Amino acid sequence: MAWFTALPAVSAAFLASLVEVVEAFTIVLAVATLRGWRPAAIGTIVGLTTLAGVVLLLGPLLARVPITSLQLTIGVLLLLFGLGWLRKASLRAAGVIPLHDEEAIFAAETAQLGSQQQRVHRSLQWVAGITALKAVLLEGLEVVFIVIAVGAGRGLLLPASLGALAACALVLAAGAAVHRPLSRVPENTLKFGVGVMLSAFGVFWTGEGLGIPWPGQDLALLLFASLFLAAGLLGSSLARKLSLGFA
Amino acid sequence: MTMLKELAAELIGMFVVERRLTISVLAIVAMVASLVDFIGVAPLLGGAALLLGSLTLLVESVLRGARPPG
Repeated sequence: MAWFTALPAVSAAFLASLVEVVEAFTIVLAVATLRGWRPAAIGTIVGLTTLAGVVLLLGPLLARVPITSLQLTIGVLLLLFGLGWLRKASLRAAGVIPLHDEEAIFAAETAQLGSQQQRVHRSLQWVAGITALKAVLLEGLEVVFIVIAVGAGRGLLLPASLGALAACALVLAAGAAVHRPLSRVPENTLKFGVGVMLSAFGVFWTGEGLGIPWPGQDLALLLFASLFLAAGLLGSSLARKLSLGFA
Repeated sequence: MTMLKELAAELIGMFVVERRLTISVLAIVAMVASLVDFIGVAPLLGGAALLLGSLTLLVESVLRGARPPG
């Protein structure tokens, strides 16, 4: 396996997972702060087990799909997903939509659990556990998709999974050290970068699925990524001017 | 049941961030597939159309997002 084939897949899985795990961690931390670590840990473990089950179920199934169909389907989904992230990150960078604020999400989640605490007296642990489970499942779904999408097309499922697991370990270690929402993670910059990489992968796989022989093969990914980066920055810059004009 | 609905909404939301962008991307892929498979256009030209189309759609979608609604 060439490093320039594996590296983009592993780094895309790592960076995307970093963003999603930080978001899930914020909610799990809110649960743990208000209701203790037990329901937070149980919800998280059940969520992670469910996600691992999804990967274990889908992995062998995907191996049965013809490679061109798989590349086309995953390519189109990656393109939709990547462009969506890049669009949102560009608009956030332009100041059109607000940045993701982990401190605010932590406060909102804590307040919501607090209000539930007043209303529901008997099943507090249950509600807290479900909240953690939901956060892990919802954020984890995107991680699972990205791992499968960047890994399945070229037999890189294991390296991509390791990239995602490394992100989980990093966030957990950082979270355990600071015991606060990880608000200093440059989330929008990461999202921008991941959007660029996923869009590049999307065009690449879609083209391969359609039988397009990209010049330079895997190296074409670098060109695509540069072009999507330039387009995202251009869109963001123009959007900033446009929104200032309307203000 | 509520969680299943939320999971379904999350799944759909992953790929349909903005309806017009989603439809346009699918239209470009379908157009490139038709050009390459049925009309016999050189695959590389199809690839260039796919790449340039996606880049253009991105910029257009970001600019549309920056305009006030209405």
